[in-house]
Amino acid sequence: MTQTLEAPKTKIPPSTHPLAEIIHRLEAGGTMLPDTPENLMQIIGLYKAYAVPMDFYWRDLLYIAEQVFLNPLPWNKYLISDEYLDRENKYSGDNADLRIWRGCGDAHPELREFMAQGELKKDLPTILHHLWHDRINMEFAEECMRSMLWHRDMYKPWNQFDGFLDTDEYKQNCDRAINAYFKGNPVMLGLYKLFPDMFYEQCRQMSYYSNLGLFWEVMAPVFFEMSDLYDEGKMTSVPAAMDFLVNGIFAIAGRPIYHHVYIKGECFEIIPKSKGFTWLYEAALPYVEAVFYRTAPFRGTKSYNAQAGQVPDAQPDFHYGVLYADKFPVGTAGIPPTFLAQDMLHFLPDYLVEYYKQHCRGEGDTIVQLAVSFQRSMYCVTSAVIQALRAALLYPLDDEDPDHLMANRQFFEAQMDRFLRPEARIRDIQNQEYR
Amino acid sequence: MPNIVEIAVSDDRFSTLVTAVQVAGLVEALQSPGPFTVFAPLNSAFEKLPPGTITSLVQNPPQLGRILTYHVVSGKYTKADLEKLSEVTSLEGTTIRLNFKKNEVKNATAVLTDIEATNGIIHVIDNVILMGP
Repeated sequence: MTQTLEAPKTKIPPSTHPLAEIIHRLEAGGTMLPDTPENLMQIIGLYKAYAVPMDFYWRDLLYIAEQVFLNPLPWNKYLISDEYLDRENKYSGDNADLRIWRGCGDAHPELREFMAQGELKKDLPTILHHLWHDRINMEFAEECMRSMLWHRDMYKPWNQFDGFLDTDEYKQNCDRAINAYFKGNPVMLGLYKLFPDMFYEQCRQMSYYSNLGLFWEVMAPVFFEMSDLYDEGKMTSVPAAMDFLVNGIFAIAGRPIYHHVYIKGECFEIIPKSKGFTWLYEAALPYVEAVFYRTAPFRGTKSYNAQAGQVPDAQPDFHYGVLYADKFPVGTAGIPPTFLAQDMLHFLPDYLVEYYKQHCRGEGDTIVQLAVSFQRSMYCVTSAVIQALRAALLYPLDDEDPDHLMANRQFFEAQMDRFLRPEARIRDIQNQEYR
Repeated sequence: MPNIVEIAVSDDRFSTLVTAVQVAGLVEALQSPGPFTVFAPLNSAFEKLPPGTITSLVQNPPQLGRILTYHVVSGKYTKADLEKLSEVTSLEGTTIRLNFKKNEVKNATAVLTDIEATNGIIHVIDNVILMGP
């Protein structure tokens, strides 16, 4: 079912953009996703299913960035310590800096249960679950982190994170940490003397582990709270879901992004909080650009011939993110987002389990159906980012000045230009039968 | 003639801004000889921000300081000077879009202009402006 739209009540003529219907919806305070109860159910259900593994992702990303650091053989990096499972989320629990989710601050109960029993539903030692690959798929989180690292310099000059990673100040901070970490290890210190840039690049990757961990620490409670509000009947439309996200984006925009490393109990500030890096500019906007839009072609989806121009020359033109992905192959093995889809499969709310059984091949392709719902949910998140940027940098939707409305229009049209390429799924998500 | 900080402190309409500048540790910098051009948001501008935004910024002075320094430009620019420019570079490091013929500073409106201080000049705006294109 597609949404019927009223003519826009603006003082400017209608848009002639190929995606004008969606632009008018955005101008009316809506989202790229049509406002239907079915869409709302799908996106909220997926936020809940996403938030539980995300509660592991952010904890383990920070564990790796802060504790595992430059371990050359990090075989145990997914075996997170109790300290990081018990670590209080800064945005949920009684000790939160700013309480977004009403629930607990330590690891979510469903996450703890899954970590103890896995898909096998057996209380086995963690190492056995791990070796059987019966665990949360951290590989997905690392893929997102690498995507941000590979697409560095996004949103320059407003994003100052990447610029800092190339400064002498950053290298000096790394130098102190590297020397402390490998103290008494002449082989690694010798390699560091010979190939310092290789070590700095590993530090940069670790800084991105921290960046993404701090980003997701915020998003997990946001999604949990949205799910609770929906369950209580207090979140009743897709635009209301988007508005909750927009308010969340503004509320925690100033959260510091930093990278601390703990070596033998001592804290080394590789990126200190005093640099002034913020959640919005140094984490959220680069994350959306890298993961929702760009990423890189996934092995296993299809073969690309770069010499024949099938892969863009310029990184900003990459279009392999969730907003463009073909979700059918994503439901198969060997593709990083399949790891996420499998993680979410474990935590679907009952109403979505029942819903997916009614369509297509029922339970057999639940993982593909949930990946499509996830795509819908990320179009809602991207709508929130677009509306937040419009609110932050441009004008209210009900502004009286036609010049201001036209500036908003041009902004929305420029955003929609990115979805004109045939791979974009924006037209698919207008149709409820896309599943 | 008072300096920029003294003018702000003496006017109740800037009490939120004054508190923010104190928390961010920028009082001394704004009392220095400068000169500076300050786009000073009214209390009502801060009230327009969604709930939680101020709390979160006040908890993190360096991040708050970055937002505040985006409202300050090195040099003294009167309204007449700004009318000739399409952008200025803030102390934060990125640029501020201007359309001062319509008294516009990005998506804020300058509701009062050319308040002279010993170390610069203040233009009063009705929105907190944020970094970005």
